[in-house]
Amino acid sequence: MNFSALLNAMPGAIAQGLIWGIMAIGVFITYKVLDLADLTVDGSMATGGAVCVMLMLNGVNVWIALLCAILAGMLAGLLTGVLHTAMGIPPILAGILTQLSLYSVNLAIMEFKANQGINVTKYALIVSQRNVRSADLGNPIFTVLLILALLIGVLYWFFGTELGSALRATGANEAMSRAQGINTNRAKILGLMISNGIVALSSALLSHYQGFVDVNMGRGAIVIGLAAVIISEVMFGKLFRNFALKLTGVALGAVLYYIVIQIVLWLGLNTNLLKLLSALIVAVFLGIPYWKAHFSVNRAGKGGREHA
Amino acid sequence: MKKTAAMILALVLTLSLSAAALAEDAYRVGVCQLVQHVALDAATQGFQDALTEKLGDKVTFDVQNASGDSNTCSTIVNNFISANVNLIMANATPALQAAVAATGDIPILGTSVTDYATALDIDDWNGATGMNVSGTSDLAPLEQQADMLHELFPDAKKVGLLYCSAEPNSKYQVNVITEYLTALGYECIEYTFADSNDVASVTQNACDGCDVLYIPTDNTAASCTEAIRNVVEPALKPVIAGEEGICAGCGVATLSISYYDLGYATGEMAYEVLVNGADVATMNVRFAPNVTKEYNAEMCALLGVQIPEDYVAIQ
Repeated sequence: MNFSALLNAMPGAIAQGLIWGIMAIGVFITYKVLDLADLTVDGSMATGGAVCVMLMLNGVNVWIALLCAILAGMLAGLLTGVLHTAMGIPPILAGILTQLSLYSVNLAIMEFKANQGINVTKYALIVSQRNVRSADLGNPIFTVLLILALLIGVLYWFFGTELGSALRATGANEAMSRAQGINTNRAKILGLMISNGIVALSSALLSHYQGFVDVNMGRGAIVIGLAAVIISEVMFGKLFRNFALKLTGVALGAVLYYIVIQIVLWLGLNTNLLKLLSALIVAVFLGIPYWKAHFSVNRAGKGGREHA
Repeated sequence: MKKTAAMILALVLTLSLSAAALAEDAYRVGVCQLVQHVALDAATQGFQDALTEKLGDKVTFDVQNASGDSNTCSTIVNNFISANVNLIMANATPALQAAVAATGDIPILGTSVTDYATALDIDDWNGATGMNVSGTSDLAPLEQQADMLHELFPDAKKVGLLYCSAEPNSKYQVNVITEYLTALGYECIEYTFADSNDVASVTQNACDGCDVLYIPTDNTAASCTEAIRNVVEPALKPVIAGEEGICAGCGVATLSISYYDLGYATGEMAYEVLVNGADVATMNVRFAPNVTKEYNAEMCALLGVQIPEDYVAIQ
């Protein structure tokens, strides 16, 4: 255990964090913009990779495969949206149902194999962990940064359009939006589709990065996504007001999450305790805003008394 | 704020100094294990024992467990590479895949991996991988297991193949043994469960439709043998198991490999690579050194199964 090893581990943590950052942006759209807790992501986090890898193994061009992965994720979101809006199932439950069904769907996509490897020397993968320490444009950090910038740009534009604004309004105040003539059900479905499409994009990149897709890949993904959203809110909430900056903050949140995990591993934590640690990180960051509010109210009370 | 930062920095520096003193002149081996599991734990133990026996304190291990989360394997392996380990031992398929995705230089040895060609997407398989990877396969002697089933239950018609759909190794074994069993005149039917929650109902289904059940070296099945036993015992259906642990829990007989021996063999390969400079790319993937016919005396008595004399009772 030495300090240079930790520094040397950073590129890997940053690349992994950026890929999960894309996923976290997907979570941000449902959890923050739309104010829905969507658990579909635990399933769609494997769907994207499954579609992309299987298509590539069958000779499809990598970018077309990536596009299909995004579309598959959007279909998953559509399913959750329909379950919620057309059948009146509460969003959490609708997400859990889709996630459950996606297990079988993902297996079927992977020809009923639970795990499929894809070799970086044989296929033109977009990113690979193998190049994470190389200093050229093939480094996954550059590629993912580029994709992130593009994604944030497109989302910034979209949420400024009339349709995007309708989506934001639905999340902010559903009753008021309906009164303004917004079809809130349609907005919710659209939001869920966009969110899961983004998650599937992240999933496809992750499967490239780690060289395989596994049917259990998405298990616990929502925790990492929420952690990134919440870390960014606590760390950058005051700094980043602009919508595009907020999305950037979410991606940075995921990077921070992975840097913390990497440091903890480097410090020699028993990895059997890693899940406990992940839960702790999220709990602490969830607690900070609450404590802050509590603390500042008390202080205001004191000051109030003095000045009264 | 400044004080805290200074204190952390001081702590980090002290730790790194004390660690640097230890690391001189020793082989550093990173072990990435997918999940806490009796068989995988035994393989890791065997690996460490073999290397420690040969190298004594000239080898240090960094054993990390991904707690069943395949994404964490990438994080762990990234840590190994940045610490510049001399060799990575990857225990189970996703751990191996994560290691291969991360490095093309550091030698990687796998263990508890059934089929390297499938795991690493190699088309022209000839026994060695041709890249920085070799290791040991936990492939059970499937043909002999099929023969064993035939020896014990020659009159059975339908064999139910019970396994978890999330485990590629199980699927592979079931595909292979189906060929052998069909050649012996059995009808094979697959029954898969998604996780431990539907094991009982799927097993019940299998008991209703078949005369004999076969369970491959399936991790999920291994972790809920009691649940399986609670179904097969009242239904009086015998289970032939792919490994000792499942057999001891709910089976009647097995042809068993030892994961400790498998890990030990991997440790011996590691010695070849580290000390004698053997080239992993041309090292053939090795299989379990020896197999034994074993039976579960209690289950056999309950189900009235006659066991030939060359079988050993599981303790």
